[in-house]
Formats: sequence, C-alpha cells, structure tokens
Amino acid sequence: MESGGKGSLERLFWGAGSIVVVAYALIPVAWIISLSLKRTADLSDQRFLPSVVSFENYGVVFHDPQFPPALWNSMSIAGLSTLIAVLLAMFVAYAVVRLEFPGRRLIMAAALAIAMFPPVSIIGPLFNLWRSVGLYDTWAGLILPYITFALPLAIWVLAAFFRQIPWDLEKAARVDGATPLQAFARVIVPLAAPGVFTASILVFIFAWNDFLFAITLTSSNDARTVPAAIAFFTGSSRFEQPTGAIAAASVVVTVPIILLVLMFQRRIVAGLTAGAVKG
Amino acid sequence: MAKIELRGVTKRFHGSEAVKEASFTIHDGEFFILVGPSGCGKSTLLNMIVGLEEITEGEIRLDGVRINDVDPKDRNMAMVFQSYALYPHLSVRENMAFPLKLAKLPRAEIDRRVAQAAEILELAEFLARKPAVLSGGQRQRVAMGRAIVREPKVFLLDEPLSNLDAKLRGQMRTEIARLQRRLGTTTIYVTHDQTEAMTLGDRIAVLRRGEVQQIGTPQELYMQPRNLFVAGFIGSPAMNFLPARMIDNRLELPIGSLEISEPMCRRLEATPGPLAAGFRPDHLQIVLSDSRQEGGLHIRGKAEVVEWLGADLFIHSDITLGEFQEIALPEELGLAPEKQHRRTLVARVDPATRVREGDTVSLCLDPRHVLVFDAVSGENMSLELTH
Repeated sequence: MESGGKGSLERLFWGAGSIVVVAYALIPVAWIISLSLKRTADLSDQRFLPSVVSFENYGVVFHDPQFPPALWNSMSIAGLSTLIAVLLAMFVAYAVVRLEFPGRRLIMAAALAIAMFPPVSIIGPLFNLWRSVGLYDTWAGLILPYITFALPLAIWVLAAFFRQIPWDLEKAARVDGATPLQAFARVIVPLAAPGVFTASILVFIFAWNDFLFAITLTSSNDARTVPAAIAFFTGSSRFEQPTGAIAAASVVVTVPIILLVLMFQRRIVAGLTAGAVKG
Repeated sequence: MAKIELRGVTKRFHGSEAVKEASFTIHDGEFFILVGPSGCGKSTLLNMIVGLEEITEGEIRLDGVRINDVDPKDRNMAMVFQSYALYPHLSVRENMAFPLKLAKLPRAEIDRRVAQAAEILELAEFLARKPAVLSGGQRQRVAMGRAIVREPKVFLLDEPLSNLDAKLRGQMRTEIARLQRRLGTTTIYVTHDQTEAMTLGDRIAVLRRGEVQQIGTPQELYMQPRNLFVAGFIGSPAMNFLPARMIDNRLELPIGSLEISEPMCRRLEATPGPLAAGFRPDHLQIVLSDSRQEGGLHIRGKAEVVEWLGADLFIHSDITLGEFQEIALPEELGLAPEKQHRRTLVARVDPATRVREGDTVSLCLDPRHVLVFDAVSGENMSLELTH
C-alpha cells in the first residue's frame, strides 16, 4: 500500500480521538450505572465497578411513593408536548417553505427570537400567572411552556428539512392522478418522515430533560416530572444518603431516551431522498 | 383522440405576463415542440396545459371540452419532469405502478402494463431497484415508463433530456422519437435546445418573452423564419446578421451590394427604420481564387478560426461594418458582437477544403438566400415574396 504510513497514522489519530470523546461522554454514565447497582453499604467503597451487583436501589425507586407517578407524568407530558409541538411546527414549516405570503421571514425570525429567550426570566411571572388561572401543578401547566420553547427548534429543523424535499414529486403525483391529500400522504409524508422523527426526538428530549419549569410549576405527584422528583428523593430511611436511589432513578430516565434514539436512528438516515431528482 | 386547443391563453404573475395570448391547436398524434430561451414562458405554458398552473385568461380545450378548471388528476395527461421526479422511496416497479394504483386498476392489469412498459424501455432487470442506484439515462427511462403505463391522452415532456450528457441525450432523443411514433400519442415537448426541437418536432412553436413568435414545421422555421428572432434562434451555428440599407434599388451590405427584385424594392423602401440582412452559414461558400461565381457576392477575409468537425468545416471570418450603423439583435440570442463595429461571419464549407487559421479566404454569398429584416420590429420583409 503506497498510502501505508500516512493512512495508518491518520487512522490512529481518528481512532484515538474517537475513544477519548466516547470515554469523556460515557464515563459519567457508566459511573451512574455502577452506583445504581451497588449496595447501600458499598456506595463509598471507592471502586469503579460494584463488588456485588444488587438491584436493591431499583426496588427502592419503584417502591418510592413519588417516582412511579413522576415517571408517568414525565412520559405523558413530554409525549404530549412533542406531539402537539411537532404537529404545529409541521404546519408552520410547510407553509413557510411552500407558500408565498407576506411575513414568512418574520415568522422564522420571531421563532428564533423566542428560542433565544432565557426561560428563567419568565419563570417568576409564570408561577404567579399559573396559580391564578389554575394551571399550577397540572400537565397543561408544563405542556404549554414546553410547546412554546420547543416550537422554534421544531420549526427550524422541519423547515430546513422540507426545503430539501424535491417538490416536483408532489406535482408528479398530482399529474399521476393523486388528489392533493393522496400526494401528501403517499409521497411527501414518507419523504418528510425522517425530518419529523428528528424534530420529535429533539423536542421530546428537551421536554424530558427540563428541570427549571418542572421544579417551579409543580408541587405534587399530580404533575411533577422525574427530574424534579429526583430532587425530592430521601432514600429508604432518613438515615441513608439517597445516592444509590438517585443513580437508579437517573438510569431509569436515561434508558427511554437511549431506546428512542436507537429505535429511530435508522429512520433518520440522510440521503433517503437521493435519486429522486437528477444526479 | 386528443386535440388540444389554446385560445388566448395568458398567465400573469404579480402583474408581469409570463405567457401572452397564446392561441394555437395541437393536432391528434402530433409531436409538438415548445422551444425558446430560458424565461420565455414555455414551461409555464406546459404547466397550464397539464393543470399545475392556473390560467389567468383564455381557455384550453381538450377534444373540444374546456379543461381550465379540471384538476390535473382528471386530465389524463402524463408528464415527464426535467428532474424526472421519481419517487425515491419506491422501487422502479412501484414508481411505474403508482399512477395505475391510484386509478384502482386490477392487480393483474397493473402487472401486465408495467411489464410491457419495462420491456419497451428495457428496464425489466431494474424493476426491483430504487431510483437512487440507477444511472441518469435509466432514471429518465423510468420517468418515461411511468408516463406510458397510463396510456394517457397526452404526453407532456419538460426538458426531459437536459440532465443527460451529450451522447446519452442524442440516444434518448432517438428513443423518444421512436416511442412517440410507436404509440402515436399526442406529445408536447418543451426544450430550450433548437437541435432537439428540429429533430423531434412535427411542428414547433418558438416562444420569446411569453409570446409565440412562429409556429411551423422545422423546414418552415428554417427556410422562412417570420422574424429576426426565429431566424437567429433556429439553426446552428446561428444565422449571420449584418446591417443593410437600400441605395438605388440595390441592397447595400458592409460586404457589398446585391441586386433585388422590383416588388422587394418597393417593400423595403416603405420600411422606415434600418434593415438587417441575414444569411445562414450554409450559404457562404468558399471559392478558389481563380474562379468567380456569377451573381455571387464575394468576400475576402482572414480565417480567424477554423473548426473541423469531420462532416462540417466552419470558418469564422471578421469583417468591419464600415460606415454602417450597428443593429441591435435580440439579446436572448447571445449574438452580440465581441468587437465594436465588427462582425464575425461564419461559413459552413466543404470539409475537404484545406484552410488553416490565418489563411486569407474568398467566400461567396448566394444572394438568393439572403433574408431582409426590419431591424426595429424584427419582421422578415422577404417572407411574402419567397412564398
């Protein structure tokens, strides 16, 4: 191989680089998993791997009076927020990309402005407002701000994606005998799906991870989500540090996200539209 | 049967007219070409016929029935897009079956028609593949296949060959011509390439700035262009144009003067503005220095560029306009002279002629083939007389 020396050096560089990056990102995760699997007595044994693997912390978490409802709240609130935000964003992005109307740019600029707005600055007024209108400590009370702050992101992701769809395909479908709805459902939706999945995952993760709104706008198991609930963990008895339980709860909330990404990454393949038009 | 009539069809976008009052009839089974430089409204016209653009004014009739408000899906026309517009998530078979499935044809009939189209277009071995893995020519054929399986009343093709390389383009051009003859379906073909237009079309409509300039057979457009634009647009290399004027019943050109007929004289004298003379490169012939051709106009010049193409030899020779005024040619033609007050004449001569760049050559212009245009309106003044 004539490129032997340079090629292997380059491969070494990229290989080592990848390992460093992956390790940097995954060591805390591994640590949390390890902590969650340790017995309470071993928590401070200064070992990276647990000497005895025990699921006692998971038992504690799921028998905790607030964790299971918090998990349900988290899933429902994040799920609903994602559904509504992505649906709305699809309409907006479609209109901005496909239709000529005054104020298209304004909509995109306004969306960007909202995305840059620091949520912490509205949290106080929102707290008072929600209490007086009865949204405090309800699902809707969290879903509303989540949609508001996730929409700009979803709109931008989807608009960027929709711009790449060859719209000749829609015309082709219409000439081939499709109604506007059939053209949309049979041709545009399959092509837009990866973009919609991408936007959905981003919005879901945003809502799932949020701590600020969750801790401020909830007070009970009615609407408290996992990130807020973890902060209220006390351990199985008042004489114990809840470290193990917190670690176990963290693992439990991380798993759905990892599963989600693994499930959909195949669908978020770039180049699905390749070959539609000239090449 | 499919006869398409356009009556005063106009399209306005934000006040500007993309198509102005197009009125013509496309006969059943005809291969009809819409040709013109980019931005001339040819694609807009096609989109109005297929129903993808609304018609601002006028009407389009299909077999005598007004179709202005008929949805594209109900017009039974098939279109091949410039980008091919293949559905990337569907296989070749599914792409071709798509219109048939929408039409709710029975499964067996769909299979039969797809198989037949695949055979005609030699796509049988690619049926299971996705468009992404096909070559440009294969994609083009799939797009054609999707159009023919429907057995539509009309085929509409929007610059179908412009994404292919030159060799493939020539090959597909022949294939399309053969396919159209075999199926006998009325076909409307949009292109900016006059060679495609000339080789494929039964009749051609030349468009410029949304207006139909002339409609005719390739021969008519070449031999009797109605105006300067058509004359310059049709034919490759383009027609040579020179400023001209009438003096003592003779047509004066910067390269000499020509005798013209009596009625022609009267017509030209009635023209107020400047005149332009046009002649095709084919009508400039090289002459050996010792022989003089009777009646021909002789030009001596330097062969600046010599292009030998095997079957053709093109000689480019510069002449000066002298005291003649420069004439303005339609800018879409791209014929603006490179040098001030000079013109490059192109001659198509016998390829056996031995001419090298820099040689002094003697060219002879056959006066019978000189067309005279009103340089302002562009109208061909010699047209009625040649008829």
